[in-house]
Amino acid sequence: MRTEGLKIKNLSKAMNGLKIVDRVTATFLPGRITALVGPNGAGKTTLFHLITGELKPDMGEIFYRKKKIAGLPPYKVARNGIGRLFQDVRVFENLTVFENVASACYSERSETPWFPFLHIKGLRSFNRDIADRVMFWLEFGGLADLKDTPASSLSYGQQKILAITRIMAAGFSILLLDEPTAGLNPVMIKRVLNILKKIIKEDKSKTIVLVEHNMSVVTEVADWVYFMNEGRISFFGRTDHVLGDQEVREIYLGL
Amino acid sequence: MTLLLQLILNGIVNAAIYSLLAVGFGLVYRSLRFFYIAFGAVYIVASYAVFALANMAGLPLLVSIILGLLIGAISGVVMDKSVYLPLEKRSASTGVLFIASLGIYILVVNLVALFFGNEVKILSMGIEPSFSIGTLVVTRMQVVQFFVGWIVVIGFWFIIRKNNLMKGIWAMGETPDLVVVLGLPYKFMRMLVFALSSVFAGIASLLTALDVGIDPHVGMHALLTGAVAVLVGGVDVYRGWIGGAVLLAVLQSIAVWQFSARWNDLITFGILIITLLFRPQGLFSPKRRREER
Amino acid sequence: MNYILHLLIMIGIYMILSYGLNLVVGFGGLLSLCHAVFYGIGAYACTLLMMKCGLPFLPAILLTILITGICALIVGFPALRFRGDSFVIVTLGFQMIVFTVLYNWVDLTRGPYGIPGIPRPVIAGYEFTTLPEYLIIVWTFLILIAVVLFIIYKSPFGLALKALRDNEMAAEGLGKSPVHLFLYAFVISGMTASVAGGLYATYVTYIDPTSFTLDESIFLLTVLLVGGTGNRIGPFVGTVFMILLPEALRFLGMPDAVAANARQMIYGLTLILLMFFRPQGIAGKYMVR
Repeated sequence: MRTEGLKIKNLSKAMNGLKIVDRVTATFLPGRITALVGPNGAGKTTLFHLITGELKPDMGEIFYRKKKIAGLPPYKVARNGIGRLFQDVRVFENLTVFENVASACYSERSETPWFPFLHIKGLRSFNRDIADRVMFWLEFGGLADLKDTPASSLSYGQQKILAITRIMAAGFSILLLDEPTAGLNPVMIKRVLNILKKIIKEDKSKTIVLVEHNMSVVTEVADWVYFMNEGRISFFGRTDHVLGDQEVREIYLGL
Repeated sequence: MTLLLQLILNGIVNAAIYSLLAVGFGLVYRSLRFFYIAFGAVYIVASYAVFALANMAGLPLLVSIILGLLIGAISGVVMDKSVYLPLEKRSASTGVLFIASLGIYILVVNLVALFFGNEVKILSMGIEPSFSIGTLVVTRMQVVQFFVGWIVVIGFWFIIRKNNLMKGIWAMGETPDLVVVLGLPYKFMRMLVFALSSVFAGIASLLTALDVGIDPHVGMHALLTGAVAVLVGGVDVYRGWIGGAVLLAVLQSIAVWQFSARWNDLITFGILIITLLFRPQGLFSPKRRREER
Repeated sequence: MNYILHLLIMIGIYMILSYGLNLVVGFGGLLSLCHAVFYGIGAYACTLLMMKCGLPFLPAILLTILITGICALIVGFPALRFRGDSFVIVTLGFQMIVFTVLYNWVDLTRGPYGIPGIPRPVIAGYEFTTLPEYLIIVWTFLILIAVVLFIIYKSPFGLALKALRDNEMAAEGLGKSPVHLFLYAFVISGMTASVAGGLYATYVTYIDPTSFTLDESIFLLTVLLVGGTGNRIGPFVGTVFMILLPEALRFLGMPDAVAANARQMIYGLTLILLMFFRPQGIAGKYMVR
């Protein structure tokens, strides 16, 4: 039954002799928001780096749709349907909001230099389709009014929303979100969380994994929690279970 | 066989000059992390200053040399104060610094050419006396180049290891912010870096110019030699700069022996590209460079 | 009059060069110091194909584009593993290497002696010899290439390049392959430069390696940086400015010996001032990193 989703098996990575990620095994299922919590330096971001191919694991395997994706370069991981929100948002600063989202909408095939020359006839309708899709996602993220603004002049919160919109528009089915609410004010946090809930509600095939420090956010949106410490998964389970666990509360929450 | 030995001997003498260039370029590249093209401009300034003082104004050579090196050092510092430092304050990117540096290079070289002409200027007159060691021949100038070059380079090596300010300059290349936090005199250190770099360029330039003369456009080649030596040897270790310089000089000599001097650039830049591809941290650097992304 | 025609022809040739370079520098955000390599390979390939193989101009140009494209692939593949300073240095290295080869492979290129007596282009039996005729052929090629490049600038490919330029990690995270996209841009840029090379060779009817030095690569980069990168107007502004500036000096009555150095000094000064006041170039939008 549970073959869908992203499966990580025995994943390890050492850097400068330190085990940053140590034999991590986890499963992220679709239709669910899974939170990855743990103190700073627990290896959460590194785990994301390993999944998206920014770093190569020393050992272990990552399965997605029965394919082994560990060690693939980042663009190939992305083409397999795994998208990522970076901790430091990373919008395309010199592009407009519209172009930022559009850049996520094009297929690999349409991004070849010869594409426009082979499709001279259909180009107009192709562009219209893309524009429609971009507008759809801009409405979804509530950014439609800002579509011609250069991304560099957006506020930090707006940039985060733009980055989330961008990975949504790219059609990824697994979304790895690294601290989507960090540095945002309560209003923006609310907006981001609503978007996340909307994603899961509207499309049960999406898998959301988020690294989060804000416990109230975790309790609000996450169905499932993995608790990481010193490179290992020390607890996992339903959110209410894990956060209710006395040991977790002591170690992590200091309660 | 004699020819090969002679060429290797020449190579070792050249290595002294290349090392000076490598140290001069490396000081700025290592501590400020931008590609310092204007090094080629500083390189010619010292020699032309000496030419103006000694050959045109008639000052004694030794006095001219000291003044020439001083002028070179001042020119380096002025470039920094007028262009790089203000740009850095606006947190300019390395690309911007690189282009500004290129602009300075073009400006200075052509300014010099405007005053002194584009043709080669000879600094010393007369035929160099030479000595023979067995079957090998060494000119007096080569002896001077060898000793001056190696004494300066190796002497500086000791200073770097002992002197705290130098250690600070070394740290500046890794964590620039740390220098400010630790209360080290950032501006003074910067000035020192440019002044020292210019002096190294000046010594190399004079050692060459007194031998074969100088024209305004040799600076680019000097810069590239220094830069390639540093990159091939390894940016992060002083011994790498020297190692790169020696390797380059010796390989060029061997190339002259096997083919001809005309293919030297092919050897130089071939080594550079191959090194960067297969050992980006440099041949003499033990640790891998940090993953830059 | 002839003088003005000559200037217009040179502007045409340099516009082809800078529009092509724009794809790598402006869209890809990579400072390349080996554009003159492809300009030179184009000039030599076209010349040799016409003189040694006896090909007519058009087939020679087409084959030249192909040959230069392959060369660009060979240079680009290793060079594009680098970014920032390292990319600049590696392209500079290739510039020096190719120049050395052009200069010393005397059997093929006649080295420093150069190749004189290059035939004028003959298209459909009509020989383009006079300046007005040559102007037409250069600007026809310019318009053709500009149209192709403008379509590419505006295409999804152009946008993907800009995305990679602005933030490579994020663009790669959206499935864009830096290896492929940068390589395409580099090869296209090299191919367009080769056309300029062929036109230049048949225009001046004599070539030698000194037209394709590091200085020329620096000049081409300067043209683009002065005008501004990453859009359609920048290369035009840069080319016109940089070609007409020295001519303006000539009108000021500066002797030729001085003028060459004075012109270079102005270029240098322009670059410095630009980095202070308009790092994105006169008409550019994107700022060099």
